[in-house]
Formats: sequence, C-alpha cells, structure tokens
Amino acid sequence: MSTAYPIPSDISPATVKNTASLLRIVALSLISGAAIASRLFAVINFESIIHEFDPWFNYRATRVLAAKGFYEFWNWFDPTAWYPLGRVVGGTVYPGLMVTSGVIYNILHFLNLPVDIRNVCVLLAPGFSALTAWATYMFTKEMKDESAGLLAAAFIGIVPGYISRSVAGSYDNEAIAIFLLMFTFYCWIKALKQGSALFGTIAAVFYFYMVAAWGGYVFITNMIPLHALVLVLMGRFSDRLYVAYSSWYAIGTLASMQVPFVGFQPVSTSEHMGALGVFGLLQIVAFAQLVRTHVSSQQFQKLLFGSVVAIGVLGFFSFIFLTYKGKIAPWTGRFYSLWDTGYAKKYIPIIASVSEHQPTAWPSFFMDLQFLIFLFPAGVVLCFRELRDEHLFVIIYAVMASYFAGVMVRLMLTLTPVVCVASAVALSTLLDTYIDPTEPVADDDTRSEADSTVTSNGSSAPSKKAKKAAAAAVSAPSKGPLSDLVAAATGSAHAGTGNITTGIFGLDSRGVVVLNVVFMLMFFVFHCTWVTSNAYSSPSVVLASTNPDGSQHIIDDFREAYYWLRQNTPQDAVVMSWWDYGYQIAGMADRPTLVDNNTWNNTHIATVGKAMSSSEEVAYPILRKHDVDYVLVIFGGLIGYSGDDINKFLWMVRIAQGVWPEEIQEPNYFTSQGEYRIDDRASQTMKDSLMYKMSYYRFNELFGGNPGTDRVRQQQVPKEGPTLDYLDEAFTSENWIVSLFPSLSYLAPHHFFRSTSDASNCICSRNSDSDFVSMSLLVLPRW
Amino acid sequence: MFALKRVLLLAVGLASLVSATSSTGNSVLVVVEPKRQDDFSMFFEGLKDQGYELTFRQPKDEKPLIAEYDVAAFAHVVLLASETKNFAKDITPQSLVDLLRLKTNLIIALSTKQTPLSLLAPEFSLILPPPGTPLISYFPKRDEPASLVPITPTKRDATQIISDTSKPIWFSGVPQALGSNPQLVPILHAPAESFASEIDGGSADALVDSAEKGGEGLWAGSQLSVVTGFQTLDGARVTWVGGVDLFSDELAQKVGPDGLKSGNAAFARDIVAWTFQESLVLRIDKVEHHRVNETGPSELYTTNDELVFNAYISKFNPKQGSWEPYSGINDMQLEFTMLDPHIRTALPPVRSVPGKYSVTFRAPDRHGVFKFVVDYKRKGWSHLHSSVTVPIVPPRHDGYPRFLSAAWPYYAGAISTSIAFFLFSALWLAGEVRESAKRPGKAGKAE
Repeated sequence: MSTAYPIPSDISPATVKNTASLLRIVALSLISGAAIASRLFAVINFESIIHEFDPWFNYRATRVLAAKGFYEFWNWFDPTAWYPLGRVVGGTVYPGLMVTSGVIYNILHFLNLPVDIRNVCVLLAPGFSALTAWATYMFTKEMKDESAGLLAAAFIGIVPGYISRSVAGSYDNEAIAIFLLMFTFYCWIKALKQGSALFGTIAAVFYFYMVAAWGGYVFITNMIPLHALVLVLMGRFSDRLYVAYSSWYAIGTLASMQVPFVGFQPVSTSEHMGALGVFGLLQIVAFAQLVRTHVSSQQFQKLLFGSVVAIGVLGFFSFIFLTYKGKIAPWTGRFYSLWDTGYAKKYIPIIASVSEHQPTAWPSFFMDLQFLIFLFPAGVVLCFRELRDEHLFVIIYAVMASYFAGVMVRLMLTLTPVVCVASAVALSTLLDTYIDPTEPVADDDTRSEADSTVTSNGSSAPSKKAKKAAAAAVSAPSKGPLSDLVAAATGSAHAGTGNITTGIFGLDSRGVVVLNVVFMLMFFVFHCTWVTSNAYSSPSVVLASTNPDGSQHIIDDFREAYYWLRQNTPQDAVVMSWWDYGYQIAGMADRPTLVDNNTWNNTHIATVGKAMSSSEEVAYPILRKHDVDYVLVIFGGLIGYSGDDINKFLWMVRIAQGVWPEEIQEPNYFTSQGEYRIDDRASQTMKDSLMYKMSYYRFNELFGGNPGTDRVRQQQVPKEGPTLDYLDEAFTSENWIVSLFPSLSYLAPHHFFRSTSDASNCICSRNSDSDFVSMSLLVLPRW
Repeated sequence: MFALKRVLLLAVGLASLVSATSSTGNSVLVVVEPKRQDDFSMFFEGLKDQGYELTFRQPKDEKPLIAEYDVAAFAHVVLLASETKNFAKDITPQSLVDLLRLKTNLIIALSTKQTPLSLLAPEFSLILPPPGTPLISYFPKRDEPASLVPITPTKRDATQIISDTSKPIWFSGVPQALGSNPQLVPILHAPAESFASEIDGGSADALVDSAEKGGEGLWAGSQLSVVTGFQTLDGARVTWVGGVDLFSDELAQKVGPDGLKSGNAAFARDIVAWTFQESLVLRIDKVEHHRVNETGPSELYTTNDELVFNAYISKFNPKQGSWEPYSGINDMQLEFTMLDPHIRTALPPVRSVPGKYSVTFRAPDRHGVFKFVVDYKRKGWSHLHSSVTVPIVPPRHDGYPRFLSAAWPYYAGAISTSIAFFLFSALWLAGEVRESAKRPGKAGKAE
C-alpha cells in the first residue's frame, strides 16, 4: 500500500496506542487550561468581583449556605426581599449552584485551604467550563471518534457563545448547567447504545443535578423523550431504548421532584407531559412487542396495532381533558412566547422588557460562533449520512436549538454545544480525509467511502497517524498563534518529502485544504479572544471608559452609592428602585428592597412602576404604605450611560398600565407627535412623573443654571428644572449615575454610571438571568 | 390627729404643686414687649413657682437665640408679643415651624392686628377673621366693654385640659375658625352669642354689613375657638391664644358682675400644663412579643403561631415629675399589618399589672414581613405609636406533620408494590433454578 508521505513502520501498535492516549490527555489538559484562562479577562481587567445582577443573589445565597449550613439555607426566609412580602428562598430557588459552591468551599476548608467564598463563586464558572470541555469530548467521541471529540472540546472551551455566560464572576446557574446538560446527554447516548440501566441511572442522577441547578432542565426533559419518540416512529424501538429510557425517566423524575421549587410539576404541568407520554408509549410498545413474540396470527397483530393507536389517541385526549379541567397546568406565557415572538409584548410586558428575551439578531450568531456557524450544517449532514441512533439525537438537538436560539437571545447558550459538536464532526471528517496518507489503489475507487468512517481500528497505523495529526490540530487553537505557525510549518515540511506532489491526492491539494483549515482555526482563536476580552468581560457593576490619552478610566458609581447606603442608613431602611437593581442593593448595600430581579410578582413590580410614573402626590401614599425610606434612581444623562431608568421608563409605564389601565396610560408620556422626549416638549404627565423629576432634579445647576444637555437622549432639559415636594435628594454619586431620594423625613440619592464604549457598542446583549422558569432578568443596554 | 394628717397631706400636696414640672424640660423663653412685661407678673410668678426657668427677651433683641446650630435653646417658648410686627431675624414663621420639629412647645398669642404670627396661623388650619375684628358679645349684660367677653367652659370645650369649668374666663381678642385638621385640639370655644366684628360694629346695620361683606361672611357662634391647641405628629404642642390679655394680672384678679371670681389664672395654668407637656402626656415604655408559653421574643415567627403582644404605657405625673404606669386606656387597638392590617384587635389593659396592655392572637396563615402596630391618637393626648417589624415565615421543612391519615392510599400503594416486587423477585429467582427459560415469561405476564 502506498502512502502520500513516509510513515514510520517500525512502531508497535501498542506504542502508537499509548502515545495517542498520552497526547489526548495532554491535549485535553491544554484545552481545559485555555478554557479557564480565557475566562479570566474580567478578573484581570477589573477585579475579582461578582458580575451583573442575578449573580449577586446567588452569591448572597451562597454566603448564607456557607455560613449557616444547608438546612438553614433550605429554610431561609428572606425578609428583605420583596418587602414586605418576603421571599421563601429555599422553596423558590434552584439550589444546585449554591450547593456546589458550598461543597467546594467546605472541601477546601477541610483541606485547610482558607479560600474566601467570594473567590469560590467568582471562579466556579471557569472551573466548570473545563468540565464542560471534557463532557463535550466524551459526547462527541460517541458521535465519531476521539479526534472529533478533541476538536469539539477545544471549540466549546473558547467559543464566545458559551463564554458569555461563564466568565469569571458570572456566577449564574448556566455556569454549571451547560456541563450538566452535556454530561446528561452523554450518559443518555451511552445508555442508549449499550442498553445499560447503569448509564441510564447515571443520566438520571445528573438530570437531577441539572434540575436542581437550572430552570433550563426542561430542555433535557423534552429532548430525550423527543429522541425516544423519533426512534420509535422510525421503527427503531429496541430493548436498549426501553431500558435506557425507563431507568432514566423513573429515577430522574422521582429525583427531580425532591427539589422543592420543582415539586409536583413533573406530573402536573404541560412542559413535562411529553416525557410522561413517551414513557407510557414505550410501555405500550414494549408490551406489544412482547405479545407479538408470543402470538403468530396476522389479524391479531393488526388488532394489537389498532389498540396501540387507540390507547395513544385516548391518552392524548385525556391529556387535553385534564388540561381543560385544570388538573394539568396549561402552558405558561413564557412557553407561548417561544412560538409567537409577539406574544410577550402584548400580554406579559415584564417578560418582553428583558433584553435577553428579544429575538436574536443575525450578527450575533456570527459574533458568538464565528466560523462554526457555517460548519454546523455540514456536521448535521454528516450525521444524516450515518444516522445511527445517537446521530439522530444530534440532528434533533440541532433543529430544536436552532429554532429556540432564533427566538430568544439567551437560548443561544443551548445552541452552542450542538454547534461545537456538529462542527467538530465536520472538521474532523475533513481533516481525516485530507491527512490520511493512504493512497488509493488505482482501480479501487470505493476508498473515499471508508475514509469518512474512520473508526477506532487500532491496528491501522495510518489512521492512527491521522488521528494524531488531528489531535495536534485540535490542540493548536488553545496554544495560541505561535504553535499554529509551528504546526503549519511542520505540515509543509511533510509535504516536501512526499512522493506525489500534484494531483488530486497530491500533497499540494492536501496542503491547500489543511492550511485553510488551520487558518480558520487560528482566526477563530483570535476572534474568540477579542470578543471575550472586549464584549463579555465587563462586570457591569464597574464600568470602564477610555480617556483621551488611551488610559482606562473606571466608573464606579454603583458601588459608591451602594456603600453610601450601607454606611449611612439604618439597617432596616427600605429602598425602592426599579427591579433591575434589587439584587445588587440586597447584595452590596444589604438593605431591604421592594422588588428585585426575581420577578414572580407582577403586581408588586407594577406598584413600583406606578409610583415611578405617577406624580408625587399619587406616589407618596404608595411609598408610605410600603415603608419606603429611599428611592434609588439610575441616571446616565450626564455621562451618557444609556442603560438608565429614563430609558427603561416606558417599561415601567407599560407594566403599571397592565395593572392600572385607568390611571396609567402609555400615550400620555409621549408628545403629541408621539415622540418620547425629555426636553421642553415633553408631555405634562412625563414632566410630573416621579422618575422624571428625580432624574433631572437640580440637573441644571451643574451647568450653571443654563439648560443642561442630556447626553443619552441628546436633548436639552427644560430651563426650569423640576422641584420635589415630598422627596429630597440624599445622595448623588460622582457621575450622577445613582441618586437616592429619601421619602419625607429621610433623604434619597441619585446614582449612576456608564458603560465602556466597547461594551455598549457590542451587538450582543448579555444579561444575567437566573433561570428559565423563574424569571429573574433585567433590562440592560443593548447598544 | 386626723387634722394633723390633713395638714400634712396638704403640705405635701402644696410642695408637689410647687415642683410640678414638664416632662420635656423647664427652660422657657418668654418673648414679650417690654412695656407689657409687668402686666403678666402673676402669670410669670406662677410659672416660676412651678419650677420653670424663665428667660425674657424683647421681640427685637438679637439674643438669646431660639435655636442655634439646629438645636433648640429652650424647651418651651411663649410668644406674648402679639402686636409686634417686626421681630428679630431669628423669629420667623419658618423658624417657629422648625422649632416644632425640634420638639419645642409654643404658646403663641394673637391679636387683632396683622403680624407675622397671624400669617402663620393658617398653616395650622386656623382661619382668622380680617384684621381689626375682635370677638364681641353683648351677653351677659355687664359694665365691661363688649369686646371683653366672659366665657364659661362648657362640655364642648376640652374638659380634660380645663381643670375648673365653673368660673368664667375673661377673654379679649380675636377668635379663630377651625379647619378640618385632625391634629387641632380646640380648648376653649367662643360663646354661642358672640361674633367677630369691628369694635363699633355693635349696631344691627354693621352686623348685616359684615354678614354680607364680600364672601367673608359673619364670624359668629360657638364654632369659633378662642384658645386652640395643635399637636404635631412628632408630639410637639403649640397653643394659639386669641388675646394676650387672657394672661394679664388684671383679668386674673377680676371679679365678675355676679360676684364670681375670674377663672383666668387657673385657665392659664391649664394651658401651660397642656402645652408644656405636663398633662395628658403618655408614652409607650416598651413593647414585647413572644409566642404563647414562651418568655423571650423570637426573631421570627411561623404562620399560625399563637402570639402574645404586650405594651407598657406610662403617663407623666407633673406633681411628682415622674412617669407612672397608666391603665386608663380602654379603646386601644393592635394591628398586625403587612400592607393592610391582617388582624386588628383590641389591646385591653391587664388589671393585675398597672400600665400593662396585653393581647393574645393567632398569626395569620400568610408569610411576609409583618408589623405590630399600636397607633393611638386621641385629641389632646400625646400620640402613641409603636411599630415593630417581625417576619412571619412558613413552617420549616421538618415543621409539617409527617404522617397523614389522608395519605393512607399512597402508603398502601407503596407498601403493596414493595411486597409485590419482593414476591415477584422471589418467584422469578426460584423459578429460574427449577425450570428452564419459559417460566419468566409467564411470571412476567402474571404480574
């Protein structure tokens, strides 16, 4: 057999095998290192701080867990949240993240490593990203082979779509959830392949972990049954499927019901009914199979088939009936908004107000996935070519995730893993084909068919060689541009020594393709690094801007104001702000808040919206009723921070209008031409609103009495500034980002800050959120 | 023996009367026009005898200041300069309101002239007649001028403040109509047959004129008040007196046409006693809450807990100058509030313990941050307000009943399934040994 380039022939298969295995371990270690390192931009550029909004709650809860133990955490009632309603935290939270950090913290302290709980929280997401890379490797290995696995691990390690939710300090549920997602899928594929109850059980255990960690577990709850259903419909029902699914569903469902927040949802809500239905269907199909092996009559089998269909139809109608009778909870509004993107805007403004619930903009696909987005379809097509059971899974996953990612920005996160897997399969197939040194025998043109199905045939030295080359290519992106160059140089050196240098199997055509791939990988690395460092590493608590001389200027108004609150107000002073800032106030200022990012109570939020959008006279009784001592306002007009309360004001109006349509009407806040203005032409309702008054209170004084210019709206505020009768200004931060206004006997401040030019120009919105089901979200600037 | 005891009691009583004092301090600033200072000597002497330290100041004196660096210099201020139009620059309506915020008590005398003080009165919901229209009454028939009116307190007046309602109180000055402010405490009303008019307006024509005068109408009748108290939300008290002569020596010593002695001296003392926080002063010493059968308070309670709330209330005794437990309130209420009162219940006194008020109730079946609110506001009395925040939490994870009789179908289901599985396993395994592979299939179908 001739080869395209010389291959050492005196190496024993065992040596090749061991070397390949060592290289894989080294490559995986390097990938893990790259995954962790690329997430540390935030710590290096700023400091070791918890980011954004929801992570502040997770961090606070974790501190309670670490300080008081699990049972106190479980029974924790937080009287400072949703004042005066309070929040039963133990029953309304996915505890997986906090428990994970708590366990790590306790292990470290058991080992006499006195690590601060904050550092555990900050570095949890990068740590788990390494595990995600490993889980993706295992998953992809089941799809193709180890080399594809290494490629997929490298992709998921640095792809921006995943980094956006897992930089250091982004202490959110997704930080661990993606690892759990991939590992549960891996166990499921493994269980399905082997018909193993053991792997089914492991899948169930990790499913339970996932349920405890993230509301997005519903994705698994529906993906696996869908896969099983498709297999049954394709006539691929087997005992393996039956064992894998039954063990996963029975154990996983029982386990998931132990999470207090989930409770009886798996048997009472529509989102979980698919899994239950497929479970029942599998029992019926299995029973039918059993009967078929014992009965020979053709008619009886037809009868049986008819009864199976009848039972299925009956079950479907009983589901409809139960839903109609209210025994099964109907679909939630969030679910509808997945199918009709205009639904939320019409009926649930509070969901629509969250920027990460907006449909995804096209550029953000490229921003988050770069060249993977066009390798992805190729990978899916390759899956069709083989179409084993596990390939069906990837296909279904790809279709579902693509749709959801197009509907909601935040669901880009669930798309990212399958894109990495499919792209790795495609790229690995390409490299296998072009690096494989085997020359076809002239009269044998079925060669290419074999190429695409390179399997773990250990005795074939050439294919081993191909794998090693692929492994080297995989590890290259994580090592940086220098090693890419080395790899490229080595490749061309090989090319020079070949027997055949031209033609379709010649080294030149191989070289062109391989070099192209290497260049694409290199640019992918550059792109990921750039996006990560510029767009995804801002803590949003601290903002950075660039001075004219290029140096960095830190804008720290948020913390300035929160610490002012912490130092200057009584412990029980209630702070009212828009809900975006609730978690931060609780976490940094340690003061009770009226509403926070866990937006379960629309009425309470609407109450705050009403207070903000009403005149002082109307707002004051509301403030008194809720014992409000301070009102916190974010105002970016002075330094051009666009994510301020005036820009979010219309959402407050809309949400309040949803509850009090007679008292608050959105059109009143526009000028007669329908413009949203804050200058002289602003409507009287707008000028009378508490939010407007607080934002522009004494603004003109900064300009020596001349009308000031709002740099966000690019409008001049009226010459006569607003006056406040019931509130007073207590504190305004350096850049006027944050202001606090005390009601009546107290004073309140004015606070604010603005974001870096880079981050605010970034196309992607990255917002925090805690989970799919309990909506804890916030409005952030998107541009 | 008996007589001796009475004398002794009297002596003690007199001594304590002399030391009768305010609950908030004894320093008094009197702002009085120098030429009139001697007219009120009896009033001033009475104050000194009670233990007050008087500081006199003329309206235009720069010193002593009423407040310095946002700290009130005196516990009480008496403004008798009712006709002065120009005060020193630290005495302005705004500064007086600030003084009230600093819990200084004020007695402010008005006159028929328009002064800065009469401009302040409307801020306290007092509506004064036009300048130059004193209170006039021709009844009862008497030798004195019509503008010097004897007023005998009636039931409509603040009988808890006025100690002696039998003697007439001679009044000369301007009446006030009252707005709807609930913090007003009318102390003495004008007689029913009196009215406000110009001095020479006794003729019927003048009355008709004034009744028809552009929208201002006739100021007449017992709805008018001549001495009005006002208690701020903070508890500071201010008394508006329609005429400064009420305090004068002349009227205090006056003997009426029917031979009755004037009640002015006693009334002036009553006004001072109320305004200077001697009488009708209550306070909540402490409140406590705990579960039934426990003694100490808990940081949080569980829904449906039986809770005990105690309040200890004291009343100031000016004779002793001390606070004494007070059990005389029978209409106090406790509210257990989260946004709205979830429970509103009577808070009755406990007979066995003076000053203690107690109630036991069951916490609502609703978690949240609740407040124990006592809010007792009665005209003339100092306001009692207490708010204690306490979270009500759902039961702990192990706080629910463990075994429910209603759940027996589920227990039975679980137990029977376990037993059936055990039997099935036993049959399966046993059958495996004895026979060949057909047995399991049958066993499976049998199940």
